[in-house]
Amino acid sequence: MNQQIRRLGIAMLVLFSALFIQLNYIHVVSADRLNKHPANTRAVVRDFSAPRGVIQTADGVEIAVSEETGGEFQRLRTYPRGDLYGHITGYFSFTYGSDGLERVYNDALTGRSAKVRLDRLGDLLLEDKRTANVTVTIDDRLQQTAASALGARKGAVVALDPRTGAVLAMVDYPRYDPSPLSGHNRRQVEAAWNSLNQDPDRPMLPRAFRERYFPGSSFKVVTAATALATGTATTTQPVFPVLREIPLPQSEEPLRNFGGSACGGPLPEAMRVSCNTAFAQLGLDTGADKLSDGADKFGFGNEPPIDLPDPAESVFPDASAFENDLPGLAKSAIGQQDVSATPLQMALVAAGIANDGVIMTPHVMAEIRDDEGEVLERYDPKVWREAVPPEVARATRDMMVEVVDAGSGTRAQISGVQVAGKTGTAQTGLDTSHVWFIAFAPAEAPRIAVAVMLENQPSANEVTGGALAAPIARQVIQAALGGS
Amino acid sequence: MTRGTAISAVRRNTELGLMLLAGTITGGAYVLASLGRSASLPANLVPFLLFILALLAGAHLATRYLAPGADGILLPLAGLLNGIGYVFIARLDQDKAGLQSVWTAVGITAFVATLALVRRTRDIERYRYTFALAGLGLLLMPLLPVVGREIHGARLWVSIGALNFQPGELAKVALCVFFASYLVEKRELLMGTNRVGPFLLPETRHFGPILLAWGFSLVIMFFERDLGSSLLFFALFIALLWVATARPAYLAIGALMFSAGSLIAWTVFDHVKQRVDIWLDPWSVATGGGYQVVQALFALAAGNLAGTNLGQGSPERIPEVTTDFMFAAIGEELGLLGTVAVLGAFLLMVGAGLRIAMRAEPLFEKLLAAGLTFILGIQTFIIIGGVTRVVPLTGITLPFVSYGGSSLLSNYVLLALLLRISDDQAARQLAESRARDETRYG
Repeated sequence: MNQQIRRLGIAMLVLFSALFIQLNYIHVVSADRLNKHPANTRAVVRDFSAPRGVIQTADGVEIAVSEETGGEFQRLRTYPRGDLYGHITGYFSFTYGSDGLERVYNDALTGRSAKVRLDRLGDLLLEDKRTANVTVTIDDRLQQTAASALGARKGAVVALDPRTGAVLAMVDYPRYDPSPLSGHNRRQVEAAWNSLNQDPDRPMLPRAFRERYFPGSSFKVVTAATALATGTATTTQPVFPVLREIPLPQSEEPLRNFGGSACGGPLPEAMRVSCNTAFAQLGLDTGADKLSDGADKFGFGNEPPIDLPDPAESVFPDASAFENDLPGLAKSAIGQQDVSATPLQMALVAAGIANDGVIMTPHVMAEIRDDEGEVLERYDPKVWREAVPPEVARATRDMMVEVVDAGSGTRAQISGVQVAGKTGTAQTGLDTSHVWFIAFAPAEAPRIAVAVMLENQPSANEVTGGALAAPIARQVIQAALGGS
Repeated sequence: MTRGTAISAVRRNTELGLMLLAGTITGGAYVLASLGRSASLPANLVPFLLFILALLAGAHLATRYLAPGADGILLPLAGLLNGIGYVFIARLDQDKAGLQSVWTAVGITAFVATLALVRRTRDIERYRYTFALAGLGLLLMPLLPVVGREIHGARLWVSIGALNFQPGELAKVALCVFFASYLVEKRELLMGTNRVGPFLLPETRHFGPILLAWGFSLVIMFFERDLGSSLLFFALFIALLWVATARPAYLAIGALMFSAGSLIAWTVFDHVKQRVDIWLDPWSVATGGGYQVVQALFALAAGNLAGTNLGQGSPERIPEVTTDFMFAAIGEELGLLGTVAVLGAFLLMVGAGLRIAMRAEPLFEKLLAAGLTFILGIQTFIIIGGVTRVVPLTGITLPFVSYGGSSLLSNYVLLALLLRISDDQAARQLAESRARDETRYG
């Protein structure tokens, strides 16, 4: 029997080894992944009653604070500016975890990041918990301007500094106030959460960076810049024939210009009036490989490395998708069919052109200071993508200036400031389109790049983008440049 | 009696030292947990420590007097696990902690009583059918109309007045005694006397009774929806059968029956299917059926290497944390180091138990020790495996650690029997060496 008992022992050893391996796997190997799992509210629970730093704008307006309340949870996270920064700060909820900056900078806000910790060794014996405060790059006045310009229309406004990638304003509609979600009354929090999530307008969705839309003609900036960069076209050649519609290879259906108008001419002219037939031809001439590659250079197909959770990547199909679908290529060249972009991505396109072809990494955090005001971390601007060579960027810029001066974007003109822009109207139905306007100013040394998008507006023609979206961009640019 | 001999002195002193260590660790952990939670010393610290010391001292004295030659590490390990479990229960639920201390006292009392009543292991060998009936009776109790109780979908409980207990826990020990005794007696017969082709088959009339008892137990457990116990029981029987007869055929048949049984259970019982689904993919039901497992995984991940420190995690978010998921709480607050330590403690206990089994000479004692150790080891594996997603979750307790009077009671009785067997062996060795000395010096 002893032999059997010995073997029984070995079997037990094997079983326990399996447990040991699994424990290592959970505790160590996949610990990080588990800790960051969206359903894991452990960090929030631990931090919910802990002191938490302040989030404030570049001009010192506090947008997230912890108020001492006493009681079981000791403090309540409140958002003094309500829904204006809802999508930026995110929410901070006992039951539902966190989003936005509350999630991304949680370690800093709770004083757990390495830099704060090193200082803490001294007060290890004291009960002190030192938190850090986050300052964002957003300017409150600009954010307000953008919000009131956007009004109650579904859409988004994104404004960046093309030189550094700093987000100057980012607002969308509809929005939500995160305050109810950080409440202490579980039933109320649940009710608020359910109400927000069941709202068909989806106020909790940050459309600015987490939702994609057909960019329409605003994508022509990418097409034009790519064509210039690859030598497919120059600002003088080719001269596109003036057409009302263009037949597409592999298809019976021709591609038409808006409202049946006829247009053509060299590239700057095609850009000025946003000529579909010319750009469709340009797209076919450039070819799927180069166009797809060009879009990738501008950031399509990549998640913008912004310091907010879950940014969506914009889509331009891989070249292989167009092998037997040249009509698709033509339509993609004018920003329809399979192209979709977030407002942030289009703002980055504008910023790239503005910054001599270099797209800087977008960021919301400006600096992190400890509770004595010492700077712990300052955001260091980094290059994200080198989209096009400087001379191509400048040529594209010149064309975009024309759009505003004498083309479809005249409603973005500001007296005394040269604005460069591009309108976009992406049909979504028989009578509706997403309307876009991307711009930067002042054209010769840009300090701000903007993308404005309005969802599903009643549309008639290309001018709609110029009529509805451009004025918003103008207001934002004026406020930014006028005040600075 | 082996009292006053060298070996018993060594073992009992080892035990004393280890008990003191276990007591210190438990006391220290208790203080740390309290500091971690509320930055203050626990209010009932002194009475608590005295109580623990009293229980540990009582148990140790019992072994000194009643089983002096017994292995010296089993009791301290059990005491340590019991202590750590208590610290965590106290950290989570003050009321349960009070009850658990009562149950611990009951358990230690049962430990002492078992050592006192069973002076020689072979004393209980004669009562095999009594044990069988007692075991089956205990298993059937929850099905009784008035006193039987269904809790969390399993009908395992009996209520008498304000007291709830699980007779099934004790039934396992009783039936283990029956199995060991029966198998030893019918051993050769079960090895097979009829040649059927290449196989040696046992005669049915020998196999019959035990098969009946076993089958009956399984059916009862199935009815009571106690899957963990069914599994444990099935495995115990096959293991004992194999150890007793050394016939690998029984292992093969057992594996086949297990597969068949699992398949049937999975098809017929909805809750079995649910459990397996949750085991395979808890994430898609993270807020529903998978919540418990998911929270346990999060707790373990939060613990990382050294834990979140006693009192500073959030194990209360795990449902049933004081019973089935105690291990996850330990994993959160003591980290990998803590869980591996607990695993190691159980492994050492299993090792000691099997060593006792190998050293014992009478076959009944061998088999009984092997069986009791097997119960301890497999139960630990089943529950830790369920918590860590190595196997689907079943509702059994972690021996000595989880909250539960019946569990503590039966595990202390189990422990006492192991120590009794160990002491018997020491006594036998002593008698042999004395006999040798006598013949030498005549």
